[in-house]
Amino acid sequence: MNRSKYYAVVGNPNSGKTTLFNALTGLRQKVGNYPGVTVEKKAGFFIGQHGEKIELLDLPGSYSLSAHAPDERVTRDVLLGLRNDTPRPERILCVIDASHLERNLYFITQVLELGLPTIVALNMVDLAQAQGRRVNVEKLSQELGVPVIPSQATRKETLLPLKLALSRAEIERSSWSPQLPATLLRAIDGIAAIWPHHEEHSLEPDPLLRMKSLLLLAAPAEDMMLLAEEMNAGKALNIALAQRMMLDRDLPSWREVLVARRYERITTLCQAVQGEGKMTSYSTTHYLDEILTHPCWGWLAFLGIMGLMFLSIFVIASYPMSWIETLFELSSDFIKELMPSGDLRDLFVDGILAGIGGVVTFLPQILILFFFIGLLEETGYMARAAFLMDRVMNKVGLHGKSFIPLLSSYACAIPGIMATRTIENSNDRLVTILVAPLMSCSARLPVYTLMITALFPGNSISIWFKGTIMMGLYLLGTLAALAFAWLFKTTMFPGEHSIFLMELPPYRMPSMSHILLQMIQRASLFLKRAGTVILGISILLWFLVSFPKSSSSSSRESSKSHFYEEVTVTSQKADQLEHSYAGYLGHLIEPIIAPLGFDWKIGIGLIAAQAAREVFISTLAIIYHVQHDEENPSSLSTTLLKETRSTGAPVYTPLTCLSILIFFVLSMQCMSTLAVVRRETNSLRWPLFQFCYMSGAAYLASLLVYQGGMLLGFH
Amino acid sequence: MNSDVSLTPLSEARAGSLLSVERLEGNEAVCRRLREVGFCEKAEILLLSHRGQLICQVCGTRLALSQQLAKKIWVKSHQLSS
Ligand SMILES: Nc1nc2c(ncn2[C@@H]2O[C@H](COP(=O)(O)OP(=O)(O)OP(=O)(O)O)[C@@H](O)[C@H]2O)c(=O)[nH]1
Ligand SMILES: [Mg+2]
Repeated sequence: MNRSKYYAVVGNPNSGKTTLFNALTGLRQKVGNYPGVTVEKKAGFFIGQHGEKIELLDLPGSYSLSAHAPDERVTRDVLLGLRNDTPRPERILCVIDASHLERNLYFITQVLELGLPTIVALNMVDLAQAQGRRVNVEKLSQELGVPVIPSQATRKETLLPLKLALSRAEIERSSWSPQLPATLLRAIDGIAAIWPHHEEHSLEPDPLLRMKSLLLLAAPAEDMMLLAEEMNAGKALNIALAQRMMLDRDLPSWREVLVARRYERITTLCQAVQGEGKMTSYSTTHYLDEILTHPCWGWLAFLGIMGLMFLSIFVIASYPMSWIETLFELSSDFIKELMPSGDLRDLFVDGILAGIGGVVTFLPQILILFFFIGLLEETGYMARAAFLMDRVMNKVGLHGKSFIPLLSSYACAIPGIMATRTIENSNDRLVTILVAPLMSCSARLPVYTLMITALFPGNSISIWFKGTIMMGLYLLGTLAALAFAWLFKTTMFPGEHSIFLMELPPYRMPSMSHILLQMIQRASLFLKRAGTVILGISILLWFLVSFPKSSSSSSRESSKSHFYEEVTVTSQKADQLEHSYAGYLGHLIEPIIAPLGFDWKIGIGLIAAQAAREVFISTLAIIYHVQHDEENPSSLSTTLLKETRSTGAPVYTPLTCLSILIFFVLSMQCMSTLAVVRRETNSLRWPLFQFCYMSGAAYLASLLVYQGGMLLGFH
Repeated sequence: MNSDVSLTPLSEARAGSLLSVERLEGNEAVCRRLREVGFCEKAEILLLSHRGQLICQVCGTRLALSQQLAKKIWVKSHQLSS
């Protein structure tokens, strides 16, 4: 009796599947108010009313089993049992947005036709009620032939009836059908009869085979071969081709009928359960859209929002950042008091604290960035930004939908690249993947901030101006992404034009607890990285810069007494650094990067940054900590300004800083992104190409800036 | 409600008009996508805004689409009774 039960959670995009999944399982998958938040399956479970395990599989939202985009294909493949890594679900939990019943029922009725035991969660009943659309639940349940349970996924206490239903031992299967004309039914049965299947003895073709046959029959001609192969259609493909020819003759409008019949039945059903909807009542969403999608006001709002976001990242964050900096300085002093001097203390102070402190300082900026992105996602503004940008994206050969992954890439390119699964056209998707890492991600923020501070030292320049420079860098990255998209689109995939079609969700008040939760998740991810990857690299780096020991480094005890000796110690330390393993590596690549204005220490930073961009900061922090007198610590940006080349000229001149900035805007320095690109494009070629073109562009642009600047007399 | 018999592409309809879809153009894949999201023949749609891109109310939800796509959808307009 207590057998575990396994449900697939399906429904339209943005119907609240993941919210419901999170509420039931206690997991924290990402939710947001725009279609296409979930793009991969995710399993979870909860313990049902009888102590049994109830497993749920959250899936990407879908408009139809025909699956036009890669995310919809994930859902289709799971439902049809085409995936090797996931068993075909035994039961289905359909999530319907009660305030958009008619739209939701198209996909839901397709799913019902699969003939599996199904429960329907009529979600967002609060919104439906607010619109004055009371749904007659009994009637809907009667018509669909399966249990319908009202729910409000955002309030856990409303979910008890749904939990009880999910625990039921037996659940009805629907007998809903779109009542197709006999000619079409014959065609479908004809294909299903030939379909290779396991249960030899069944006379009536089972609902799954009929659905597969229907999908194959209705697929666009160019997709039929591939689809037949994916669904193991075997000889049924030939029958499907023959049936299409017959239908073209007997019922020329069969493609239209196939969809129209379903909608006709749905419309009647909707009228029966909620009365006729008023088509002309304009909502708040409509009036907000009149402004926010307006070609003039909309753009002003968009630029205003973006500007506010980048300025506050720079301005507001500067206060908590200085507190964190002080905290790290105090603890490094504390350790120096506590521990006897020696290699172990140096490792703690110069390696671990300097390295981690250098990066953790930037936590406030990252939190503010995620707060803004959370706001955009929760209110429903994401889809409007995509709508506005459609015109710009058209100029480079993509369309508005590509802008959502690009906007997500401001946080991190990895979720951005995953989000390209909502793009129907595979070439558009590839181009979007290729340019997504050019959008400045949160790992670049620390580098930008540090370099901007070094570019304009002291308080001579207002913080607002520095914020504007930061905005300029983001803009540069975005423009580069658009320019390369245009280049790739026109050279690799010329003459193609894809369609822009996207649902605009209603605006919602953002839920602060959701946004806070996402910020906390992000912060802990960031700190975890600092505690693992960056800690590891910091320790490794400290060894690389401290060993092999040069012969004369034993005289440090006496260094406090004499000024003269102190100077010698510093130069000895510099000497030590120069002859360390890291120094050797840095000198090795110096000839390549010298034309960009980088010295060998920056070179060490660049090598280390290949693991992750923010490591650049921790590396510089370690190098300069090891090299300098550690008795009076100063912030990294002040230390940078004191750095000189062998000629005595300062290293971090405005021109060098600019060159570093440009390099970081364009270059590809993230192994995890490359790994995800490899997985999503299913090839080695594209991540390699991406790495080469981005690194090449970064090198050339920095070279141009530095050498050009020199020619113009800057230095 | 009196209806006008002549067909126009959706891209030339006026914002605020109540329309019914009559015919779709374009390749099989595009037509199937359009039908499945609700631009099916005989479906009633409301054109909400038309400034370059269009926003329509279809099946109770707001759908955004580009001008190019709207050219493929042929509609008949109903006079909207106020
Ligand atoms: N008012 C209200 N809002 C809800 C309810 N359920 C979900 N939401 C909100 O609806 C939005 C979409 O929720 P998600 O759970 O991300 O939707 P989804 O179905 O997983 O969407 P995709 O992953 O894109 O397919 C979020 O902003 C939720 O906060 C509900 O019952 N009432
Ligand atoms: Mg989801």
